Amino acid sequence: MRRALILCLSFAMGMVMPLSPPAEARIKLVALPQREATVVRLDNPSYTLVEEERILTLQKGTNQVDFSWKGVHIDPDSIRLKILDHPEEVKLISVAYPPDEAALLWEVYTPRPYNERVRISYLLSNLDRLVTYEGLVPMDERTMDLKSYIVLRNFSGEDFDNVTIRLDYGESLQKGIRNEETKRMLFFTRARLPLEKVFTWNDRVQPWDPEKAARNVGIPVYYTLSNTRERGLGEHALWGGKVRVYQEDGHGSTIFLGEDSIDLVPVGEKFRIYIGDSRDIVVTQRKMRDKRIVKERNSAGRPVLYDTDEVIEARIENFKDAPAALILIEHIPGEWEMKSCTHPYKLKDFQTLEFRIELKPKEKVTLTMHYQRRNLR
Amino acid sequence: MKRKSLGILFGCLCMQISTAWAGVDLVTLPGRESVQLTIYNSADLTLVREVRRLTLRKGLNRLSFGWANTLIDPTSLDIRAIDRPDAVRLLDVSYPPRISTQAIWTVESEIEGEVPVEITFFTSGIRWRAFYVGTLSPDEKSMRLQGYVLVTNRSGEDYEDAQTRLVVGKIHLLDRIAELARRSAPYGRPMALPREEVAERRKVYKTARMLLERPEAVGRPKEILKEGISEYYLYTIEGTETIPDGWSKRLPSFNAVEVPVVGLYRYEEERFGEEAIRFLSFKNDKEHNLGETPLPEGSVKIFRQVDPDGHLSYQGEARSKYIPVGQKVEWRLGPEPEVTVRPRMMRMRTENFSFNKDRNIDGWEELQDWEVEVKNHRDAPARVEIIRNLKHGFWKLTPGKEIARGFYKEDMDTVKFVLDLSRQEHKRFRYILRYYEGERRLRR
Repeated sequence: MRRALILCLSFAMGMVMPLSPPAEARIKLVALPQREATVVRLDNPSYTLVEEERILTLQKGTNQVDFSWKGVHIDPDSIRLKILDHPEEVKLISVAYPPDEAALLWEVYTPRPYNERVRISYLLSNLDRLVTYEGLVPMDERTMDLKSYIVLRNFSGEDFDNVTIRLDYGESLQKGIRNEETKRMLFFTRARLPLEKVFTWNDRVQPWDPEKAARNVGIPVYYTLSNTRERGLGEHALWGGKVRVYQEDGHGSTIFLGEDSIDLVPVGEKFRIYIGDSRDIVVTQRKMRDKRIVKERNSAGRPVLYDTDEVIEARIENFKDAPAALILIEHIPGEWEMKSCTHPYKLKDFQTLEFRIELKPKEKVTLTMHYQRRNLR
Repeated sequence: MKRKSLGILFGCLCMQISTAWAGVDLVTLPGRESVQLTIYNSADLTLVREVRRLTLRKGLNRLSFGWANTLIDPTSLDIRAIDRPDAVRLLDVSYPPRISTQAIWTVESEIEGEVPVEITFFTSGIRWRAFYVGTLSPDEKSMRLQGYVLVTNRSGEDYEDAQTRLVVGKIHLLDRIAELARRSAPYGRPMALPREEVAERRKVYKTARMLLERPEAVGRPKEILKEGISEYYLYTIEGTETIPDGWSKRLPSFNAVEVPVVGLYRYEEERFGEEAIRFLSFKNDKEHNLGETPLPEGSVKIFRQVDPDGHLSYQGEARSKYIPVGQKVEWRLGPEPEVTVRPRMMRMRTENFSFNKDRNIDGWEELQDWEVEVKNHRDAPARVEIIRNLKHGFWKLTPGKEIARGFYKEDMDTVKFVLDLSRQEHKRFRYILRYYEGERRLRR
């Protein structure tokens, strides 16, 4: 076992007093005040803050406290010492960094001897946390039981025996984690979160003529959930992480549906999980017309300003025995006017149209958009 | 049972939880009671679910699960008490330092005694694929279609008497399971390691030997139960299968007789050059004696019965896409020199010129008279589809009477002619194509 983070206390006059017994057998230094309480704070995804409390047996006068971290990645600028019991009397006088060493030397002055509780804090690299999620949906795919796990990864070079791990929400955890150990534990569970299953086809992502593609063109399938109280969550932001989704198979077992990663979901926001691709819904899109209507010509008679008259036809086939909600995204760039359209749509922005098409089992639907693009030059 | 390396060690620790478990006594080794494999074909992924009977003590128990020389994704490991999940709680899973193939579960139990648990994990190295064998009737009007599945186990682990399920579908995966299985730390490290430190898993080849097969209770090939679940289809093979590491198994999936088929020949210069490409066309529906489930993607081999003695001739092979129920199937068998399509432009002329104010030409119309000769030299009927890609979307096409009912506008600049030929038949059709150029595109 490697143990690299060392705290050593000595008096200014050079005396070394044995203090509390060493925590680890292999440590050769005599004076090692034991860690009393250690808090590892993992609320910042990039930095891990360690706060440890130790009791220093201080003699009257100036004491030297040696802190070294060989083999451990500590940001030296982040190291802080806080006097807890007698902050009015016990003073940190100076901090010195010895040459070519991962160490520093605190000089602490006290007017009278104390067993003084101090808190040392520092930013430690290579100790972090991940969040993963596991979802289970029933046969009808209308709800999800969600479990969230915390994964601690300690490659910091330091063993932590029994520390309090604080995340930015939820209860703190009391765990030990050794160097190079990974540990996973349950974070929270929520049952029966309502979800919506949607199929998505985007004219800029999916090919228009799937029949000509060498492989099946899948229509991405998403589960949409909301981080709100009405929909079973909403207590705190959900950290980003990998989500694995399973489904009950009706025979007492489950199948794995797919996995996705989600970004951080603030309270009140929706999030979606990409499960896989459906090949039982097929969209074939074609442009049936693209004509020009000249509006202005120059003196040479050349058209300088024109509109277009365009017709797009999308044939949607549901080969499934079940109904399906299909979100169809279409783009019409620039200035345009819809002349006629077989289905209602919502404008996501000036050029993005979102259609929501409720397909019945085995239904075939044709969506036709007739529009004119304006003032092309 | 533990012939290979996947094993569960079980130890009991009723002291305080400490990270130092060198002293944990890992004792009993319960065997698998049953195992279920759910094998995917769109990714190298198998969900393994096994039942083992553990003897737990009241309080804290520590279980060690090891998987040396196998291809398990450690992040997928899970354990669950089957009967009393509330009384047996998993507190945490630890992946100890520097041992890349071990997990230690800390389980708190309210039960003293035997507890059946279900252990689940992902493994890579087990695959399945579908393939088809079609046998055409001598007149090529129908086909006997046999579907098979082939399961191959190269996972490093023998699976005996496993309930085997195959998933048809395209799942979304972020990482390859085989790569997760080879990581030196299950969730990676906070800081990327130099490449050489990532231990390459030693490939372990073992002499494959067949495990003793139990005598088959039913004197017939096994049946495959098929059912839809979410966007996937689940094939469950009747009974259990024993698939030792390194072995494959082929199982019949379905056998459809008398599937009516159409010999379709497609001609499209831009895609196929000047050859007609042979397709075998039918529909995955009841009228075609199919349509119970989608047909998973796979390779196809097509034979034709050539005489009453049942001798066969090999016609070619194709890759089949996934075919949903109700969808048309077109298997591409390759170029067919005995069906020819020769489009010829017989006359070209221009007319209706227009001029700008400087008397320069700014528009005209071009007329093309086309004649298409289609010949079927084969001894079977042929449906021929001729796709013509036009040079732009400003045109008018007048089909000849002989093809008027077989003419379709595919999109703004693509047209299709469809005609049926009986065996050894030749046909010819004409069309007139008028292109509008320059200003003539606007003034119509």
